Amino acid sequence: LGSKVLHLGHCRVSLSSPEIRAGFNAIKANIQARDPIRTLSILSHPHSLHKVKSSDRCCITHHLLDFYMDKVFRHCKTEDPFIDRRISSIANSFLSARRKLEQCHLQNQCACGQESREKLTQVLANYAALNVTSAAIKSLGELDILLDWVEK
Amino acid sequence: SGELSCSLPNPRNVHFESVNMKNVLRWSAPEGAGDGVLYRVKYSVYGVGRWIRKPECRNINTTWCDLSSETSDYEEQYYASVKAFLNGMCSDWTETTRFNPLTDTKIDPPTVSVSSTEKSISITLTAPEKWTRDPEGESVSLLHVYPGLQYNVSVLNRKTKKRWFFSISNNTLVVPWLEPETAYCVSAQIHVSTPLLHSGFSKEHCVATLKDQTTK
Repeated sequence: LGSKVLHLGHCRVSLSSPEIRAGFNAIKANIQARDPIRTLSILSHPHSLHKVKSSDRCCITHHLLDFYMDKVFRHCKTEDPFIDRRISSIANSFLSARRKLEQCHLQNQCACGQESREKLTQVLANYAALNVTSAAIKSLGELDILLDWVEK
Repeated sequence: SGELSCSLPNPRNVHFESVNMKNVLRWSAPEGAGDGVLYRVKYSVYGVGRWIRKPECRNINTTWCDLSSETSDYEEQYYASVKAFLNGMCSDWTETTRFNPLTDTKIDPPTVSVSSTEKSISITLTAPEKWTRDPEGESVSLLHVYPGLQYNVSVLNRKTKKRWFFSISNNTLVVPWLEPETAYCVSAQIHVSTPLLHSGFSKEHCVATLKDQTTK
């Protein structure tokens, strides 16, 4: 399905987003149905990702990839092998993108401004407002929100 | 007391039907309800969660409600819900799945216009416009919503039945080195790679190349 090169300031990262989207679309209805909470979003409220300045895109993408690897995928085990396989394939795509972005981060090309820190703090606060499994499932159900923003 | 008993079966298949981001909520009547059922509709922005009633869809007898205006911000996601009423009874609220206008809308084919010379045809494509609240106001092309939008174009030589396919990003295409006085039929489709969306192919537009003036 190919990859998409994300232009994040000085960093270039290829993300197999069509493949991630296809995997997510296959499990979206199931995962979102496991999340009954309408009043809270991990990524998009109170401040939408789409309001983030372009200079902060690299830092936020880098930290959100970390967030999904460290706090989401590993807590999304389900009773359905089909769904688990899709989740691990998405996680693998995130892993390779994170590795590439890590190198750019180490070369100080992916700095974090004040707004990035505030946005990331908000994401972690939204996550912490729920128990780990509910927060992880809700975050996974918002993958299209992340992709819609990252691919813009 | 005037308390309603909510034992009426629920509306069924409550879902958004979206074309070019004209987002219409649709549903089917409760099983076996017969005539006279009325409905109320509410919606919410995901993450905000406060349910908002749609006054224009209060006590309606149709099984659809246009929520395009309420769901026009395609950077947000939404839920909607419907409740049925009949003879002093009501159903439970029945919700949609989460609706993401950006990924869940369907896109109409582009409009195609074709002109010809002796040995070439020129094709101009126009992407559909995003639904807009004020039809008289400024329109927004879906090209603005999906910057990576591309066109797949099919050109058929009606005499030889030979067909070519092109994939282009800009909206004009000139096909050279064609045969004079021959009918060519053009059809086009929109393709968006992320999120993955594509329209159907447009109706075929046929045009004939002109007579070759150099051969007397």
